[in-house]
Amino acid sequence: MSGSSPRQLKKIQKHLMELKNTSELMIDLAYSALIFDSKDIAEEVQRLEEYVDGLHTKFEMSILSAQPPVKEADEFLSLIRLSLATEKIADAAAQIAGTVLRGIEPHPILAVVVNEAEETIAMVNVSEKSVLAKRALKELDLPGNIGMRVIAIRRRRKWVYSPRAKTIILPNDVLIVRGYAESKPKLEGLAAGRIREL
Amino acid sequence: MELEYKPGSIRELLTEIKDLSELMIDLAYSAVLFNDRGLAKEVLKLGEMVDNLRDQLSMENMLAVRDADDAEMGVGIANIASAADKISDAAVDMAYLVIRKIGPHKALREAFDSALERVERARLSPRSILVGKTLDELQLPARIGVDVIAIRRWKRWIANPSEERRLKAEDTLIVRGSREGIDDLKKLAQGRMRKLE
Repeated sequence: MSGSSPRQLKKIQKHLMELKNTSELMIDLAYSALIFDSKDIAEEVQRLEEYVDGLHTKFEMSILSAQPPVKEADEFLSLIRLSLATEKIADAAAQIAGTVLRGIEPHPILAVVVNEAEETIAMVNVSEKSVLAKRALKELDLPGNIGMRVIAIRRRRKWVYSPRAKTIILPNDVLIVRGYAESKPKLEGLAAGRIREL
Repeated sequence: MELEYKPGSIRELLTEIKDLSELMIDLAYSAVLFNDRGLAKEVLKLGEMVDNLRDQLSMENMLAVRDADDAEMGVGIANIASAADKISDAAVDMAYLVIRKIGPHKALREAFDSALERVERARLSPRSILVGKTLDELQLPARIGVDVIAIRRWKRWIANPSEERRLKAEDTLIVRGSREGIDDLKKLAQGRMRKLE
């Protein structure tokens, strides 16, 4: 039998999804860096861009090692082209982050634009009495409950990007959350402890 | 097409460019995943719209500059617009795969199933409780964490439907959301789930 083994395909799938997820996370982080004028976040975007470059190379290698049979060449080409698109998206995010890093004065309307968009980005402080505190993201299911998801957490002076489902939110965490703009007041209430029910 | 070209403020133009570019990414992935030519063409149309909006924004941006400080802030805006345009271009590249009949690879479907956020299609049965309701009434993002990003009605695509848009029986919805949310949405669309909490 010629062509790619299931194991090789799994690897290709894994790399491609990681490219997709990372490039989208980078866009969210880049806009966050912009509206909160945060060089920390902008630097993370730049680091992620390098990571994406490396990932992209690995992805291309995995495609080549899978030795696609001739009759499947166009299918594999579609995978390569998709990965190129994710790289373009990552570049765009790095470009946004670059304006923050170079210290270009952000125009006040940029924050308005991000807040006005259908999907907004919010930064909230988790209070001691918040129902979000001491619970895992999975348990809270913010995407299902209020249409928002946590894209980054600042804990003390460290950032956790793309937190996992089992990550537990602690009091005094700062969350960067992206999602449905209309849920923002509810999220703020939850984080402050004013709203007790999800 | 829900959105129409209109000259406007820098704020409005930039918001529209940002929203459209992000929507295009989701639509482009769906077009590839479902190998849907109509949807791919819709992405191309949106790409042209982004180009037009960006030209308009450049003009407004230049007109708004009165001094050196304005100019510096203008650079920030131009950079964001250019980044959003790049994102829109990436989506157009993906859509061209469908138009030119390249792929899709059979492994794609499975790969996308593992994504955190998923994009799916759902057809509205006449028995569905979603039929006859506007998106504003349904509040799907807040209730089940699912966003309707496009609707196919007969042969027409409605990308980025407005909140006042009313759903009709036999509409095909392209939705984005969590796995659980999309499972609920599918049941609602089929009429197997009769309550929206």
